[in-house]
Amino acid sequence: MKLAQHLTRRILLMIPMAIGITLLLFVVTHIVPVNPLAVILTEKSMDDPEAVRAATEKWGLDKSLPEQYLIYLGNLLKGDLGVSFKTKNPVASDLLTFLPATIELAIGSFIFAILLGLPLGIISAVRSKSPIDHFTRIFSLLGASMPPFWSGLLVLFVFYYKLQWAPGPGRIDSRIGAPQKITGLYLFDALWTGNMEAFWSSLSHIVLPSVILGWFTLALVARITRSSMLETLSQDYIRTARAKGLVERLVIFKHALRNALIPLVTLMGLAFAGLMSGAIMTETIFAWPGIGRYAVEASTNLDYPALTGATLLIAIIYMIVNLFVDMLYGFIDPRIREE
Amino acid sequence: MKSVRIASILTLAALLASSLAACGAPAAPSESQPPSAPAASEAPAAEAPAEPAAPASGGALVIAMNLNDVVTLDPAYAGETTNLFIHINTYDTLVDIRPDDLSVVVPRLAESWEVNDDFSEFIFHLRKDVKFASGNPLTAEDVVFSWNRLMNVAGAPAFNLDGVGKVEALDEYTVKVTTAPDDSGKPQSLPQFLTSASNPSLGIQDSKLVKEHGGTDAADASTADKAKEWLDQNSAGSGPFILVKWSPKAEIELVANKEYWKGAPYFDKVVIKHVEDPTTQLQMLERGDADMLGALDTDLVEQAKANPDIVVSVDQTLDMNYLAMVYTCPEDIKAKDPEKFAALMSPESHAILCKKPVRQAVAYAIDYDGIINAVLSGYGTRAPSIIPIGITGVDPAKTRGRDLEKAKALLAEAGYGDGVTLDLYYGSNPTREIVAAKLQQDLAEAGITINLKPLEQSVYLSEMRAQKLPMAFGGWTPDYLDVTMWTDYFGLGDRSIAFRMWFQNDEANRLATEIRTTSDPAARKAATEKIQEVFMEEMPFTMLYQLQTVHAFRSDLKGFKFHPVWFVDLFELSK
Repeated sequence: MKLAQHLTRRILLMIPMAIGITLLLFVVTHIVPVNPLAVILTEKSMDDPEAVRAATEKWGLDKSLPEQYLIYLGNLLKGDLGVSFKTKNPVASDLLTFLPATIELAIGSFIFAILLGLPLGIISAVRSKSPIDHFTRIFSLLGASMPPFWSGLLVLFVFYYKLQWAPGPGRIDSRIGAPQKITGLYLFDALWTGNMEAFWSSLSHIVLPSVILGWFTLALVARITRSSMLETLSQDYIRTARAKGLVERLVIFKHALRNALIPLVTLMGLAFAGLMSGAIMTETIFAWPGIGRYAVEASTNLDYPALTGATLLIAIIYMIVNLFVDMLYGFIDPRIREE
Repeated sequence: MKSVRIASILTLAALLASSLAACGAPAAPSESQPPSAPAASEAPAAEAPAEPAAPASGGALVIAMNLNDVVTLDPAYAGETTNLFIHINTYDTLVDIRPDDLSVVVPRLAESWEVNDDFSEFIFHLRKDVKFASGNPLTAEDVVFSWNRLMNVAGAPAFNLDGVGKVEALDEYTVKVTTAPDDSGKPQSLPQFLTSASNPSLGIQDSKLVKEHGGTDAADASTADKAKEWLDQNSAGSGPFILVKWSPKAEIELVANKEYWKGAPYFDKVVIKHVEDPTTQLQMLERGDADMLGALDTDLVEQAKANPDIVVSVDQTLDMNYLAMVYTCPEDIKAKDPEKFAALMSPESHAILCKKPVRQAVAYAIDYDGIINAVLSGYGTRAPSIIPIGITGVDPAKTRGRDLEKAKALLAEAGYGDGVTLDLYYGSNPTREIVAAKLQQDLAEAGITINLKPLEQSVYLSEMRAQKLPMAFGGWTPDYLDVTMWTDYFGLGDRSIAFRMWFQNDEANRLATEIRTTSDPAARKAATEKIQEVFMEEMPFTMLYQLQTVHAFRSDLKGFKFHPVWFVDLFELSK
């Protein structure tokens, strides 16, 4: 009961936050002293007063700023994100085109980061100062400090060009082609339609970009897990558990890890939202048609509707993930639930 | 116009035979070196005929290129460089221009045509045996529909039909185009219309099919036409290939039109894959995951040449970069338009640059060869004035290079022997930053101090359009191959770049108008020669460089012939 109430309140709170974000974006984008018509029209038609007048009217740029904002908000309530200046498509459909690739890559890199980062962190804590701890430290340091535009090119050069173990850039082999579209997530669609050739091709294509994008997150996960575990392992109740003769496995996984998870959950939530908001460099290097590129191009093109739409989507992803993380705390730590 | 467009594929292959005879023996890559002198033209190897006769089907052709510029594939909306390539391979135009001779317009859908003396009426007689990929016959009504839709949707490529008043079908296979009246009420002269008609944007659409998907050519098409969504994913043309899928920023997929009126294409399928990083593109080519690249980064040419499986071809484009300097002095601007005077961004620089010797001094102080070698790795050349090499009437031998002493003398003559300080504006990108720094360094040697004023590209364009800049560095990519593409926009004081830089010169105006309105090729050539002299004397613009592009493909690919406007005709390729 309490939970449902809490949840409703949190979800309702998201509405004013979303509106605040649109207002902020609207103000910021309109402070820039440029003419959005430069994006809408071609250079040549900018010299034609008739074309300029027609476009100003068509795109509602003749109205005052508050009016433009209210019209945008009104449309937003109807689920209409407007039409992109550049692509002339509805922003919502543009976002839907690019979102599946981003979701797939985010999940891939998240899995990589957690599957490798968590065990590495735990082992480093349990066998602190051992060779494996040092290895993890260096591996994490590399992940956190190597820019993806460099490490991406490096892994492509080594694993694609030289060793020929991995496929090149893109989501799938061009000669195979994308599986029939259901969700836009290639792996899921290929499995669903039983197109195993497409499945293996897209699986092999997602490995390198996931590693490159997930490496940074892995570094965070491994390091935080280690320090959090070390702290927990020095607590009195761990000594008690050991003193009463509990098996080490249970001490670590049942007692220590569960308590060490709290900061980790916060981190993982933010990291996942970060992965979801797109990774421009990784997307560029691996020719991955995700949302990061779309947002960046919208901002360099002063494509207000696309920029606002993409930012709003990213903001909502953050809010939902944060909400989810807050709910998770309750499951991990009963004390939080009671408060 | 598309100074916003970055690297383009426009090339003047024919004139500078530097482009490939790339087909032929796979083991011996026939490649051209970058010409060191502007006029350099290597004799190409014997031209191996393309082999359209090959009956075997060739499977899939994979092209890796940067597709970032593609925002739509509807010919009525699409105005980017890559679009020209996709359109010409999916739609047919009425007339064609072959890379072998860019000054000749040859038949395509139109068997023949008639043009009246003052370029105001054009009558096209269509082939009677052409069917669209859908099976519908191609008739004059489709031409009327396609061009009216283009004009009324008023998207990016609509300018190709600027000046056209009426398109009508005289009978099932005859189309008549009449130009719109000018200010005096008589039909205007459109000498460039025939070349424009070869532009891929003017490809003919299947009117039945487009209408089925919500298309219209009515006057309110800019809001009433609903076919864009469908045309983004499908083509409605009679061309050799059919668009079947476009995934933005991922790939474009074409399949062969087996019923194509010139015969079935060799490849069953063409996949154009979006790969942004040039190194990765080359890796894909080397590994055989791609058969051809859209362009090869000049830094990678040596690596590509070292691979016997790859053919490298260097091609001359018509893209150029220029430095523009203001022509009219602030006091004259004040007299004409006090508001514009008040808005000038750097009035001091403005007052200095409006003196002719200063502009000449700047032009003489620039180390053009240094820019081409350092910034373009030698893959560039230069024309005498703003009109590129390859256009009739342009003589590369007249190009003037650097002369520091003369620059200093001219500066002293203008009364600035102690040096001057000028503000240089440009839309920032990595290449421009390097060129700008080089300009700053070169001009400093002549006593000219340059303050670099990089602006965000759209801001730069807005300010330039508002006539506020004293000195600007930008690029120019032609949309059609007629000389008016340069003489109009750089010569007529009320048009584009000339307007923006206050270049209002009676002689240039007169010559540019003459070129526009004369049908006699000899007279046009003479006027073109004269207007270049005016440009070089008054020096409102100096060309910094004219780009060359490098192309690379697998040596087993045959029939590659670079086209100046649309990159390559896929129909001519085979393995």
